[in-house]
Amino acid sequence: MTHSATRRSAGGVHVTQDHLWMRPLFWGVLLCICVAGIPYADALFRWLEPDARQVIYQRAPFYALLSRHLLVVGVAAVVTIAVGVAAGIAVTRKRGRDFLPLVAQLASLGQTFPPVAVLALAVPVLGFGTLPIIMALMLYGLLPIVRNTLAGLQEVDADIKMSARAMGMTPAQILYQVELPLAAPVILAGIRTSVTINIATAALGATVGASNLGDPIIAGIINGNMAYVVQGALIIALLALTLDSLFDSMQTRWRQRLSSS
Amino acid sequence: MSLLDALPAPRLGRGSYPNVVLVSLSAVMLAAIWGLDAVSMAPNRIVQGTGAGVMEALGWPGALLASLLVLALGALAFRPNPTNYSAALGVVVLILALMPFGLMVAGHFLIDPALPQARLGIGAGYWVVLFVLLLCLIELRLRLALTRLWPMLILAGVGLLWWLCAWLWLGDLALVQEYRARDQQLIRAVGQHVVLVSVAVSISVVLGTLLALLMRRYARLQKGAFAILNFLQTIPSLALFGLLLAPLAWLSANVPVLAKLGVSGIGNTPALIALVAYSLLPMVRNTYIALEEVSADTLEAASAMGMRASQRFWQVRLPLALPVLLEGVRITTVQAIGLTAVAALIGAGGLGTFIFQGLGQAAMDMVLLGALPILILALLVDAALGALAEALRPGGVQ
Amino acid sequence: MIELSQVSKRFGDETAVDAISLKVPNGKFCALVGTSGCGKSTTLRMINRLIERSSGDIILDGQAIEAYDPVKLRRRIGYVIQSTGLFPHWTVARNIGLVPRLLKWSAEDVQARVEELMGLLGLPIEEFAHKYPHQLSGGQAQRVGVARALAADPDILLMDEPFGALDPITRVKLQDELAGLQARLHKTVVFVTHDMDEALKLADHLVVMRDGQIVQQGTPLALLQRPKDPFVESLLGGLERGLKQAALSRVKDHMSSLGPTLPSQYRIAADCSLRQALSVMLRDHTDRLTVVDQHDVPIGELSLRRVVKEAQLEKGATRDA
Repeated sequence: MTHSATRRSAGGVHVTQDHLWMRPLFWGVLLCICVAGIPYADALFRWLEPDARQVIYQRAPFYALLSRHLLVVGVAAVVTIAVGVAAGIAVTRKRGRDFLPLVAQLASLGQTFPPVAVLALAVPVLGFGTLPIIMALMLYGLLPIVRNTLAGLQEVDADIKMSARAMGMTPAQILYQVELPLAAPVILAGIRTSVTINIATAALGATVGASNLGDPIIAGIINGNMAYVVQGALIIALLALTLDSLFDSMQTRWRQRLSSS
Repeated sequence: MSLLDALPAPRLGRGSYPNVVLVSLSAVMLAAIWGLDAVSMAPNRIVQGTGAGVMEALGWPGALLASLLVLALGALAFRPNPTNYSAALGVVVLILALMPFGLMVAGHFLIDPALPQARLGIGAGYWVVLFVLLLCLIELRLRLALTRLWPMLILAGVGLLWWLCAWLWLGDLALVQEYRARDQQLIRAVGQHVVLVSVAVSISVVLGTLLALLMRRYARLQKGAFAILNFLQTIPSLALFGLLLAPLAWLSANVPVLAKLGVSGIGNTPALIALVAYSLLPMVRNTYIALEEVSADTLEAASAMGMRASQRFWQVRLPLALPVLLEGVRITTVQAIGLTAVAALIGAGGLGTFIFQGLGQAAMDMVLLGALPILILALLVDAALGALAEALRPGGVQ
Repeated sequence: MIELSQVSKRFGDETAVDAISLKVPNGKFCALVGTSGCGKSTTLRMINRLIERSSGDIILDGQAIEAYDPVKLRRRIGYVIQSTGLFPHWTVARNIGLVPRLLKWSAEDVQARVEELMGLLGLPIEEFAHKYPHQLSGGQAQRVGVARALAADPDILLMDEPFGALDPITRVKLQDELAGLQARLHKTVVFVTHDMDEALKLADHLVVMRDGQIVQQGTPLALLQRPKDPFVESLLGGLERGLKQAALSRVKDHMSSLGPTLPSQYRIAADCSLRQALSVMLRDHTDRLTVVDQHDVPIGELSLRRVVKEAQLEKGATRDA
């Protein structure tokens, strides 16, 4: 894929310093309002499903579903970031160089695998429930992070690396003080892609027995209750938007740090 | 794929030090052969199978043969040179070709012919070996600097062999039984899947190109459109499908004309809308960037030579933009293939039906039957459109 | 003192540097000149072990370079490259202070040194200290590059086409400043360039390379007077070689005292080069110039005949030697 495809902000709206964190805050507040308010919005959803016996999803409170969803995505994210960045670093060092072509090829090939298929293939091997979901998310989420770590490290100007070496920096100093800070925006973009995909894939996990925000949607589709579907969809969408705008702000912040005083 | 092109060409080792990658991959395979279940057997479709190790499944001659082949691969990697790499490639292909026969042997040992429902499942060990062999194939292709066509040909050949084995002799295999039980259904599902994807992609290619052209003309449109498309892309697929269900159901209930046209809350309409919505972002982005990125100097030269605006567009800008544009189509299509699977949840049909029904019934082979064709479809489209973009790259310019 | 003997570098089957031997005494400025791909940059990078040589010896201050830890070795050798290699995420001040900080100087010492160097290179502190590299012009960025290389006061300075990417006016200005710095600091400099004028202007010792080998080395004057083969001759400017040689001499070294004849109305400063003097003669259609000091007071006379005759004598002298 071209880099144009890995960067998401082709048309990103410019945000000034003061308003940088406003958008994630806005979506986050909206998310909280929905989670807390939906159980009391009986009348509103009754209008959508006048004939249903109940219109508010009751099997578990929304905050519990949300926290379980966040837990799954969070655990997967922490592990994938640690492993993915470490792998990306390892194969660009002298000792791991042999693995670089294979890993790079695999990371770009992995983008071709649809997450649903990966999830479906994970179940026969790993079984039903939350843990298999986390494993599947980790496997799949690893690829964009490895890919972007490689791209980010490789994009660091060879002359800059050489001059760092020529100034007498040790390999560790070059990595931490030069390569990683310069690759950070690209790595961050990879993490963002990974987390976005994982939020969506985790929701599908509801079909393989994980209880999370996908639950109301699946239950709603099975029972033909649109109110459930809307409730689940609304909260997942808000969660995704909150996290995505948070990453967007972080990327903007980083770019500002890199490029201006 | 541009990432890989930027990497230093892998060196063909000059004999002295081993290819660590292949050696480690061989070690992983050995561990998988001996440490994981090679196959599993189940008395019927629903019951969880019991695993069987390599000795049980293949007997000691089979286990020995498998181990020796893997060891040979590792040994060849110790002295890397073109000859040894070619030999290693031969070994990999040989193992791939022998794998279905291993299953036949296992079926012969483990399945009681008296039980008609009894079936053989493919175990974790088998999957891991298969996966690692594919990694070996990639590694060897890179080291031998073969074109992408080679692994394609090899995999096509091996796939054909497997298909033949499955068709003729592997009646015990759960996957084969599952396929025989619903082959018509599967073929129809593949058809539905392909049709849904093609329609959605065709619509978004047309819409996306129009939108990108409009954006180039009206700069103001650009910010807003990208913001909206980004926003849509961020919303998880399940949620977007869900959010489309309610209003469409309401529309079909209250506007009879639309209902007659096939608009309904469940089925193809929301699936197509969601697929197009998702496909637009990569499509528009790549088209826009492709058209924008054509070097200003080239265009200036074209004007200076006296080309009219339309000539400039059709003869200079478009041909130069075409590879990036096709890249957009590739990303869009691969993404749509995966998303269409999710669309099965809202009744759009396609291969996702098999996955979700299988998951619902805890019938893992049915899940596989849905997931494997999706994977193959995605890889095929990826390879085909990638090759097309490569071929259209004018003069091999980056 | 840098001493290379029989140093070679092979990349696979290709020989980039082929058995070269070279001595750069302390405080001298040595320029490696040649067309691109002749191995001059590779030679430079072998000195600070960015590239490990395949064979031969490199001796630094009497010790073979492998006796030094490569990281410590590099910290005591300044290095400047064409693209500056400044860290884009660090301010100018932080970039300059890099090596002192690596050497664990105290924060105050680093700060003081950075300020000193910025003064030395004409970068006003309040204007530049907090700028980022992308906010600098090419010339300013290269000044920062030189300041960074000088930060820990290394004895040796390696420069790889440092001014190659600059416009001609900035380039000449930085060359003059570098010459001034060298006159004060007396570093041992190895300078790679493909610009012969730059090399002639700055170097004490000139090394011409081709295909990984040294074709000829010596003082600029010696090379100008006796180029070994047509390659060196064409590199030195072919038919314009005489003018380049004239550029190396000062007017004041060739003037005669004011004679009884009427002084010429055309004047030239004593610090100008002979080449400039010749140019003035051509422009003003004269064969005599009055030499003046910085206060415009006549102190001597320069005649075309004398310039030509002395060149003849010099040539004869080097031939005899």
